[in-house]
Amino acid sequence: MTELGQIWRVACYEWFDALRSRRALVVLLLYMAAAVCNMHWSINLLHKLENELVTVLQLPPSEHAGVVSTTLWKSKPFQRMMKQMTQNDLVLQDITGKHPVELIYAWFAFFYTPLLVVLVAGSRIAEDLGSGAVRYMIFRISRSSWTLGKFIGQALMIGFALVLSSLGAYAVAKYRLAGSGTPDLFLNMVQWSVRAWIFSFPYLGLAMGLSLLTKSASKATVMGIIAITVCFVVSILLHHFTGDTGWRAYLPYLGLLVPDEHKMYMWRNSLAPLVTGTTYLIALGFCYLLTGYAFFRHRDT
Amino acid sequence: MNSEHAIVTTDLVKRYGARRALDGFTLAVPTYAVLGLVGPNGAGKTTWMMSVAGFLRATSGTINLLGNGPFDAAVHRGRISILPQDSELPLESRPLELLAHYGLLQGLTRREAERSAQAMLTEVHLGDRLNSPIRTLSHGMRKRVMIAQCFIGYPEVVLLDEPLSGLDPREVARMRDFLARRRGRQTIVISSHNLHDIELICDHVAFVETGRAVRVATLEEVVGTGSTLVYALTALPEDTAKVAEAAPDLSLSWTDDPCGLVCRYDPRQTTPAEVNALILPALLAQSGVVRVAQGSDLETEYLEGRVLKRDPRA
Repeated sequence: MTELGQIWRVACYEWFDALRSRRALVVLLLYMAAAVCNMHWSINLLHKLENELVTVLQLPPSEHAGVVSTTLWKSKPFQRMMKQMTQNDLVLQDITGKHPVELIYAWFAFFYTPLLVVLVAGSRIAEDLGSGAVRYMIFRISRSSWTLGKFIGQALMIGFALVLSSLGAYAVAKYRLAGSGTPDLFLNMVQWSVRAWIFSFPYLGLAMGLSLLTKSASKATVMGIIAITVCFVVSILLHHFTGDTGWRAYLPYLGLLVPDEHKMYMWRNSLAPLVTGTTYLIALGFCYLLTGYAFFRHRDT
Repeated sequence: MNSEHAIVTTDLVKRYGARRALDGFTLAVPTYAVLGLVGPNGAGKTTWMMSVAGFLRATSGTINLLGNGPFDAAVHRGRISILPQDSELPLESRPLELLAHYGLLQGLTRREAERSAQAMLTEVHLGDRLNSPIRTLSHGMRKRVMIAQCFIGYPEVVLLDEPLSGLDPREVARMRDFLARRRGRQTIVISSHNLHDIELICDHVAFVETGRAVRVATLEEVVGTGSTLVYALTALPEDTAKVAEAAPDLSLSWTDDPCGLVCRYDPRQTTPAEVNALILPALLAQSGVVRVAQGSDLETEYLEGRVLKRDPRA
């Protein structure tokens, strides 16, 4: 078996084993439930807005919920509001053509994926280091193959969780919102889950890189949560302080290391920014992982 | 394996802060030997094994494993295995699938890996628990899975750290037989505090003290199988001098708890039958002889400190 074959074997076993792990399974189901609930509540909110609009404008009530929401979505005042929220004309252009359900799901997936990653994958390596299970592996394969295999296995697990959550969210939308049961919408939502999956790579690298530093599973999870919080805060600070002169002009370079700074690429429609974002995010994930591996490579197990 | 020694470590040092867990550990394990590592707690047995398997990075010194330098997964994959101490297997896994997975990683084909995994698990009497999650197995059963994983794919070198601890007496006896059958076929190093087990399984013994191997010898040399006769007596003779007179060329030493006589002879000059012909009549004239055994036992030799005294390096 080649080194690549070994990595793939470890990855498949890791995925399979993670699915059997009750903790990971519970987190995965919770995430799916959260996606479903988020969609359900968001549709409730849309309905409420719709009813208020109907009352204010003294229109005859629509028999199909969601019709007014779609009109609202395309209205100029609403788009102005969205422009202020995104602060990016290109992103705004791309997302205003989307179905609201897609965007509700995409917002959920992008916002909660880092947390899902830390809770599912953050402790997997530390658990093996703490229990000593790693010792049954690293005389059979190299430490690098083992680490990479675990990383890919967890990436598959996260991908699986995201696709499941998109299916759950689509099912809710289909039954609760008029005109939401189209195959196109279904495919678009799966596509958003794939984009969120790519966005999860740097967080996965960060969580697993940190996990290589400790033998305590709970410590690894806490370190992961702190790390994603720091990333989030740094991203906000970068937006606040970035300027054109002096040290402020250099802040965007720091932004290259923060996953959130590459998120907007994943909201775009055209291929070029998507490829750029994907490359950045995956490279960043491997950079974080390699930093942890550099320590693990020489550590006593 | 062509070289004379499967594992050679020279002046191996492993430091944890100021403490030296290994302090110039020099040991050559002969190819196809079953070598027992004997020594007190904290002597460095586990540290040595973990260093050889590549789990620990030695501070200094050299390791030569199967003639290919220190452990390198690319070179030694499938050729070495270890039963590490205090290491859990993945709890959600099933023994058969886990061992087959290990076999595949070692380079076996799927068919070979599955066959080898099933054979090894049957050998350790877990044929009826092949697909039970490991978390549902008892401590002893888990230990047997751990032992079985060491022999997947028939590696050339097997390192076993306390392999028999936690097993019930029947399983201990079966495992001893299983390991003893490996003599002359695989190089096995066993660390154990149970000297009786070491004596029954191993053909070589290394004594480890304060981070060093202070003596390495064949078991025969240590317990004197070919040069010592031990007589268990009902009581010590009143006139021991008379017995000594009967065999003036032999070295005799008396023990009083239990009563006995240890008689050392030079196997190049005399045979056990000739020694018996001289000693037994003199003993029987004064006392009852319960049993005559060839050689002492490892535990007695070790506890009375004779194993170290006989080595000029000690």
